[in-house]
Amino acid sequence: MSVATARKLEAGAARGLLRRVPEAVSIRLASLVVLAVAWQAASILFTERFVPGPASTFAALWDLARGGELIKHFGVTMARMLASFAAAMLVGMVIGTAMGLYRRAEQSLDMWVMVGLTIPGLCYIIVSFMWLGLNDRAAVLAITWATFPAIAINVWQGVKAIDPRLIDMARVFGASAWRRTTRVVVPQVLPYLMAAARFGLGIIWKVTVLVELLGRSDGIGYMLNYSFQMFDMADVFAWTIFFTLVMLAIELAILKPIERRLFMWRPEIRA
Amino acid sequence: MADIEVRRLSKVYRSRAHPDGLLALDGIDLAVADHQFVCLLGPSGCGKSTVLNVLCGLDPQYAGEVRVAGRVVSRANGHPFRVGYVFQEPRLLPWLTVRRNVEFALQSEGIAKSEWRARCDGWLGRVGLADFAEAHPHELSGGMQQRTAIARAFAVDPEILLMDEPFSGLDELTARTMRELLLSIWLETKKTVIFVTHNCFEACFLADRIVVFTARPGRIKREVTIELPRPRNYEDARLFELSVSVTHHVTGTTARGTRLPD
Ligand SMILES: Nc1ncnc2c1ncn2[C@@H]1O[C@H](COP(=O)(O)OP(=O)(O)OP(=O)(O)O)[C@@H](O)[C@H]1O
Ligand SMILES: [Mg+2]
Repeated sequence: MSVATARKLEAGAARGLLRRVPEAVSIRLASLVVLAVAWQAASILFTERFVPGPASTFAALWDLARGGELIKHFGVTMARMLASFAAAMLVGMVIGTAMGLYRRAEQSLDMWVMVGLTIPGLCYIIVSFMWLGLNDRAAVLAITWATFPAIAINVWQGVKAIDPRLIDMARVFGASAWRRTTRVVVPQVLPYLMAAARFGLGIIWKVTVLVELLGRSDGIGYMLNYSFQMFDMADVFAWTIFFTLVMLAIELAILKPIERRLFMWRPEIRA
Repeated sequence: MADIEVRRLSKVYRSRAHPDGLLALDGIDLAVADHQFVCLLGPSGCGKSTVLNVLCGLDPQYAGEVRVAGRVVSRANGHPFRVGYVFQEPRLLPWLTVRRNVEFALQSEGIAKSEWRARCDGWLGRVGLADFAEAHPHELSGGMQQRTAIARAFAVDPEILLMDEPFSGLDELTARTMRELLLSIWLETKKTVIFVTHNCFEACFLADRIVVFTARPGRIKREVTIELPRPRNYEDARLFELSVSVTHHVTGTTARGTRLPD
């Protein structure tokens, strides 16, 4: 089946569905189908050895799941990611808030968070492993270290963007300090915190697999490397697809709904 | 309700641009009786907003003596009287609906929840926003946002009402309707009002008394009492004459362009 006929079929199916499915969803579905078709075509063109098709990839994934490896290594990776994410958010929020509030903190730190952002994650990983040994403490340290500058920068921007005139308004109407903070300041910073979380998750996934590849004997990064050593392309694809699906699920099931609830009032974000 | 007493109020701003301090207000004396509607009139940068910020307690760093309803205004005194402040911009919380914005002020002032509904509906109705109570600020026009801010200021049942050029961002037609609305509300509630403007006609239309400021540092240059009967009318010829003569006080020139002796 050529791409053109696939598109035509697609369009027909989309028109039929449009009456019930919102446009945003049908466009996403369409792009998914197009991608799957292209994937299959590439697999035929370059042979299964180099580009395993969807069928053999999901077969490999099924094997990994049945053997129990999938859940084990996924669990380990998630645990590392979540621990580092929590630590990076904490450190990033403290530093970002200090930079946003105090000119001295801003002047002394702004260059260093920028530097922190540009240093490759690999450097943090190697240094952490050399300091603490090949263990999980070093892994969490490295991931946190590589992630918090991006979070700090977002929080810093958020704190700087707080509108003091709204705080004055609240004060004039007699709002207590607690009320001014929770009802006027925090809602203004929340969009930036969400952006920080997004950035953080994006970086964390990339650094975590690298950490596991270099210094751990479990986790998805380790298994990716193992499949590489075996030259098992189907497994490489299976791990990658699996993790992509997990990240998508986090985005659609956790981040998007939170955002929708928080920012319903904003004209630019529509449900 | 409250009277206002300001004695020898001076204000120096310190900033990086002016490390030795910038004298914004220089010895202001001002007494406003209960129920009076006073307009502060003066050129840009003469310190009108500064006076309001001192009066409402936002700016506790001043020299002199400021009392509202007999109580000294300072940070240590907290929030001893209710202020309704209409800022030059609407200053609404964008994530709250119009109703929740008004309720935010009511709750901040510690007003019982059982009264919220009636007060919100009442004041939003008065400013013509009954149908927009559940809308968010970004769904409103600039004039509607400013009307929300006015409803919010009246809803807390303030002892003094401070208004900082509330209509200067509006087109003249809307501004006229808003001035008429404000006067009709004021005639009923008789709050003590301090209204900042640099529009002479607006000042004459609204005020019992006009206090004219000099350019920075702000001093009181002249006071004008407006004795036109209320309710007032835009078409009134005396209003027009008065506003011309007040304009001359402000600019310091006569109609022929020569300087008036001070
Ligand atoms: N936060 C501040 N820091 C330093 N200087 C300030 C500050 N606020 C006001 N000033 C100075 O004080 C003077 C009076 O300012 P103010 O805002 O009270 O003027 P205004 O009469 O309200 O003017 P406008 O009609 O333009 O609103 C100005 O010259 C301004 O430069
Ligand atoms: Mg001003």
